[in-house]
Amino acid sequence: MNEELDSQLSAMFDDELASAECELLARRLSRDGELKARWERYAVIAAAIRAERGVRLNARIARRVSVIVGSEPALAGHPAARRRELRWLRPAAGAAVAAGVAAVSILWLRAQVPLGGAVATTAAVSAVPSSRMTASRMTPPAAATTARAPRGSDSYVVPPAAHGAAALVPATELANYVVAHSMFSSPVARRNLLSSFITSEPAVPGTVTVSVDGIQDSPLDAKSSAQ
Amino acid sequence: MPRAARSNERLRTLTLAWAVAAAGALTALEPARGSAAEGGTPGDQVRAAEAPGPKASPARAPAQWLERMNRALTMRNYDGTFAHWHGGTVEMLRIIHRLQDGQVSERLVSLDGSGREFIRTGSSLACYLPDRRTVLVEQRPEQESLAGFPAVDSQAAGNYDIREIARMRLNRRDTHVISVAPRDEFRYGYRLWIDDSTAMPIKTQLCDIDGRVIEQLVFANLTMAAHIPDSAFHPEVSTEGFQWLRNDAAPPAAVPASAAVWNALQLPPGFRLMARGPQTLPGAPAPADHLVFSDGLASVSVFVEHGDPGAAEVTEVRSARVGSSSAFSTMSNGYKITAVGEVPPATVRFIATQVRAEQPATTTTTPAATRR
Repeated sequence: MNEELDSQLSAMFDDELASAECELLARRLSRDGELKARWERYAVIAAAIRAERGVRLNARIARRVSVIVGSEPALAGHPAARRRELRWLRPAAGAAVAAGVAAVSILWLRAQVPLGGAVATTAAVSAVPSSRMTASRMTPPAAATTARAPRGSDSYVVPPAAHGAAALVPATELANYVVAHSMFSSPVARRNLLSSFITSEPAVPGTVTVSVDGIQDSPLDAKSSAQ
Repeated sequence: MPRAARSNERLRTLTLAWAVAAAGALTALEPARGSAAEGGTPGDQVRAAEAPGPKASPARAPAQWLERMNRALTMRNYDGTFAHWHGGTVEMLRIIHRLQDGQVSERLVSLDGSGREFIRTGSSLACYLPDRRTVLVEQRPEQESLAGFPAVDSQAAGNYDIREIARMRLNRRDTHVISVAPRDEFRYGYRLWIDDSTAMPIKTQLCDIDGRVIEQLVFANLTMAAHIPDSAFHPEVSTEGFQWLRNDAAPPAAVPASAAVWNALQLPPGFRLMARGPQTLPGAPAPADHLVFSDGLASVSVFVEHGDPGAAEVTEVRSARVGSSSAFSTMSNGYKITAVGEVPPATVRFIATQVRAEQPATTTTTPAATRR
């Protein structure tokens, strides 16, 4: 995205964009997925404020948004949207109805343009195969080689946490390691690491059992749940 | 109304709605004039409406901005709410950080998710896990709380391309956008929107080698407070009936998991041994040997523990993810070797499978002296 567009988008959120330009940008938003994703990220900030402060929107705007959202069958009937709605609306209990409606509007966009949507999809597909790695791929030279294929089945992109087997998330033992390691991380990395730990869903780490000769290879193993 | 026109109208309406909402952010993000880390007073605050306009800050190299940011995150008092975006989900967290009388207190809490909390007060680290009805408590040497992280030096410069790629307004703040691009696939990169005034990272993106965003943190509000009371560091969760796992004892003196000296036969390019020592893990029967490897920005910990003696013939391999961080555990000659770090999976796998007893590292860099 060029900087001019970025600047316009920023100005729009700052309410500093002229109405004519706002109209043009809105048209572009409707057909530019990347721009939509960008817009969505800005919206997260507003959602954050809603959760923290209970933002109250202008009543007239809120009514219009409410009418529009209410007439949008794709949103009203989309199960994923409903799930996310619950997730978003939980912290907003007690906040203005208008803020809730606005949050739903975010979700509508999220359902269409997830952050790094194509990437996330690839990762979700690749997560299970990556846990079925062969022993030969465990050796450092192979790791170095296969790691260079980010768009293939070994993509580094982190899988969505909501997908069962892909969610290889911390057990108590892993929490020990994470906490101990965090003291040796850079400030930013530590914040990222601990945030990820706190927000990760409780789940079961995956186990891959590899024989010494590297032939036997099993997928997720139930005994890992003991951890 | 035609569908396209209705769509445009809807987008415009939503945009207006969010413009109103975003306006709330501007009063929430209170800037501070000056900086404790740079000679200012932590409590110096001005209202957003009184904030000075764009000003010319002293020209700094990109690496200096990283250093300044690290100091701000470590040395300043702040209380902020941020969105943590990862894997298609967004969750709100609150972070409170205080440096008072040389002691660091920090609290990180999930506002709308698991209810997990991480609280550090001085040398004590407590991790509250309501979903597991468990509290982990770990004691660390006090001086490590302020040890900080190695300077962004030539080691980091050799592994990352660090540059300022833009200056832009974010939340009506002047920010420097610093790109930290990895030079290979063994590490992640960052894009950081560093506030010109406070040096706080208002927005942080973790990226893979192709620049794709895999994790994002955006502050919605941030207050650089003069005083943060002790009560801010009390957990919200009730711990009645929880299992407490502690290592309340002083850090182990010299009782490592084994008498052997552990090291990595090979390391990914740019990584080197930064620290090593015994590490008591809460609930663990014996201390582990803890090795820390770093490339100047990212770090990987390796824990070596006595494993199940019967596991010598078959290597059990476990992998796990904590957000964008990775963990990999394997058994080798009766020892369990676990690598954890904010790096791609291949990197922790590489390092864990290279750790051996009484073998020197063959990395091109010289291992640093032990930290303790």
